[in-house]
Amino acid sequence: MRIRIRRQENSVSKPYWQEFSYEKKNDQTIAGMLEELNYLDDLKDISGNSAPRIHWEQSCLQGMCGGCAMVINNTPALACETFLRDIKKDTVVLEPLRKFPVVTDLIVDRSVIDTYLKKEGAFIEEYKGAAFSEYYHMYQAGKCLKCGLCLEVCPNFSCGSSFYGAAFANDCYLIAMRSGTRDTALTRAYKEHFEKGCSKSLSCMDICPMKIPTLASISKMNRVR
Amino acid sequence: MMKKVLIIGSGIAGMTCAIECAGKGMKVSIVSPYPSERAQSVLAAGGINAVLECGTDGDSINCHIEDTLKGGCYIAGRNAVRGLCEDAPDIIRWLEKIGTVFSTDTDGTIRQRAFGGQSYNRTCYCGASTGKQIVTALIMEARRLEGLGMIERRTGIDFYSALIADGECCGAILHNRRTEELEAECADFVVVATGGMNALFRMTTGSSLCDGYAAGKLFEQGVELKNLEFIQYHPTTMITGQKRMLVSEAARGEGGRLYYDENGKRVYFMEELFGKRGNLMPRDVVSKCMEETGKDIFLDVSFLGKERIMQRIPEVYELCKKYRGIDISSQSIPVVPSVHFFMGGIAVNNEHETRIRNLYAIGECSSIYHGANRLGGNSLLAAVHGARVATASIEKRSPGNKQYDPTQELNAGRERFKELRSSKSSFPVMYIRDMLAQNMQDDLGIERNSDRLRKGIDDISYYLSIADKINYDNSERIYYAYSLEGILTAAKATLVCAMSREESRGAHLRSDHPQTKDKWTASTIISYDNGAYNTKLDVEGIYEN
Repeated sequence: MRIRIRRQENSVSKPYWQEFSYEKKNDQTIAGMLEELNYLDDLKDISGNSAPRIHWEQSCLQGMCGGCAMVINNTPALACETFLRDIKKDTVVLEPLRKFPVVTDLIVDRSVIDTYLKKEGAFIEEYKGAAFSEYYHMYQAGKCLKCGLCLEVCPNFSCGSSFYGAAFANDCYLIAMRSGTRDTALTRAYKEHFEKGCSKSLSCMDICPMKIPTLASISKMNRVR
Repeated sequence: MMKKVLIIGSGIAGMTCAIECAGKGMKVSIVSPYPSERAQSVLAAGGINAVLECGTDGDSINCHIEDTLKGGCYIAGRNAVRGLCEDAPDIIRWLEKIGTVFSTDTDGTIRQRAFGGQSYNRTCYCGASTGKQIVTALIMEARRLEGLGMIERRTGIDFYSALIADGECCGAILHNRRTEELEAECADFVVVATGGMNALFRMTTGSSLCDGYAAGKLFEQGVELKNLEFIQYHPTTMITGQKRMLVSEAARGEGGRLYYDENGKRVYFMEELFGKRGNLMPRDVVSKCMEETGKDIFLDVSFLGKERIMQRIPEVYELCKKYRGIDISSQSIPVVPSVHFFMGGIAVNNEHETRIRNLYAIGECSSIYHGANRLGGNSLLAAVHGARVATASIEKRSPGNKQYDPTQELNAGRERFKELRSSKSSFPVMYIRDMLAQNMQDDLGIERNSDRLRKGIDDISYYLSIADKINYDNSERIYYAYSLEGILTAAKATLVCAMSREESRGAHLRSDHPQTKDKWTASTIISYDNGAYNTKLDVEGIYEN
């Protein structure tokens, strides 16, 4: 099969496309395939020219760290849990997430997610606990990978806008439920930077690798007010 | 004067240390290649051990200590382990307070489950993603201190080397991925929290970011390493094309049974050998027994029923479904032992300080508490406790007096970078890493012998002799090229330690020395002297006692 990758040497250089050929293995993931290519003695593109090694972010390789989020055949997903058997076309097109600045090749800078949370003071400070009925949802929200997939598909999010997206909303919920001192500020920030701009497409929920029910966070935050 | 602490690594150990140091008025800089969400800590599924007042009747801190020492085959330091177990209840309370979502009963009591090698159910947990929930809480707390200007978190940073003058550490040289340059960061204290040495084996249950380079490099710089031969093979992992996937011990904690097929009949070999709790024997024992059967082993949890599986171990269900297409509510899981945890690492004393003054090591990169085999649920505990101990030690100390000029080290590093970048070769450094991993898997498996170990040492010595003479593909990240020697050094040190211990104990099994021998009831210490690797036994408990 053909692997077509949108490449970029660094944050200011011009992107370009490069194709590789790869013998499809159904049980291999996109991550495993990229590993295989990078471990080759001499990486060559489809025309037989030497190609630079492919840069991509990885750590856990099992859907728990969010590092390898990228756009695969136009669909944002984690490379480590996207299997070649599920790719029906002969070509796999890999691109970096489009909502974030490219660092190199498939690696993007997602620091904006944390920057927003830092800016709004998203921390508990004084712990007051929460009702048992909240625990299941808190557990779900606590699993957010900060992978950026929810922001990638969100029709309202763009880097630098005042709408911070689902990752922000879930963390607001985690804090507002349990903080005795930060609950009011975070509820206010939630209204300003999430509620106001969310058009409820809920694409964030469909795409989330951890299946976080953001709609439940929204409804719970609505009740906090 | 405000003390400055540089922490390398932002997993649970590093982040806890950052929070603790900042909370005590120190200025903290914490650096890592990626944010904490990518740290291996998020993979820790099972739980964290503590004897809580509300815990299982009959359990005690003394019992936790004894279980830990026994699991470690009596080479861990009793005082160090006592500190660990005594600190555990307070650690759980602290983690809850900063926002860790523990699994609880309806009255808020933290639930505890059974884990291998423990006399009582004392493993607190957060569903099947304990590490992830702790990391989420630590990030929130670090953010608070960052807002106060006490912590600076920087990503895109790799460790290069420590700055050491007259046996005292005064900072580190770091590689900045954005500028692609080396930079020096001076600090009164440096804390290394870089995790285990996964790159030695490539396919492990851990993160590809934890590669053992920092331990190998610091070893070359004068730090001693300890107990490297003790590598935990987790008994229940699944083989996939990209890594070994861990099937959490929680699956056996909930009642999962190991078996193999013989003439169409299931043989529950662990239960036959050890009775009812056989499936929950310590990991080294289970892995060894599995290997000894010579059969394909399966783990069955299907009898729990789908409802209980989805309630107690949903992540295990999802993992098996996703990566192997197995529905564990009706099918058994094919499992093999794989490298999971490194009990060995940087030798530290009870305060987590290395042989180099003002240089500390915490978390999996350090070697303390676990002896010859770690109990499940003790690694998260050790990561948090070690960070607290290191902080308490740093708090007592005066800031370093050294006004150190790092120009010479920086220039040497930059020269090396120039050479690496000028290469026109297409030869990947990963080729050598791959050969290394193959060697380690072959020569340092669950069972070892002197012939294989000797061969392994010879092979790695050869790779080391050529590593800096080869031109590598410079389109690979420069980190891979400059880290190769340190990783190979750590690998060779590991093999030398395994060769030196002529007995079987815990996770170290020698087919040519199958007995455990009293005279070896001590930790192995290895030091580096101009290319020579020297081992000794720490019979006096110089480091851990």
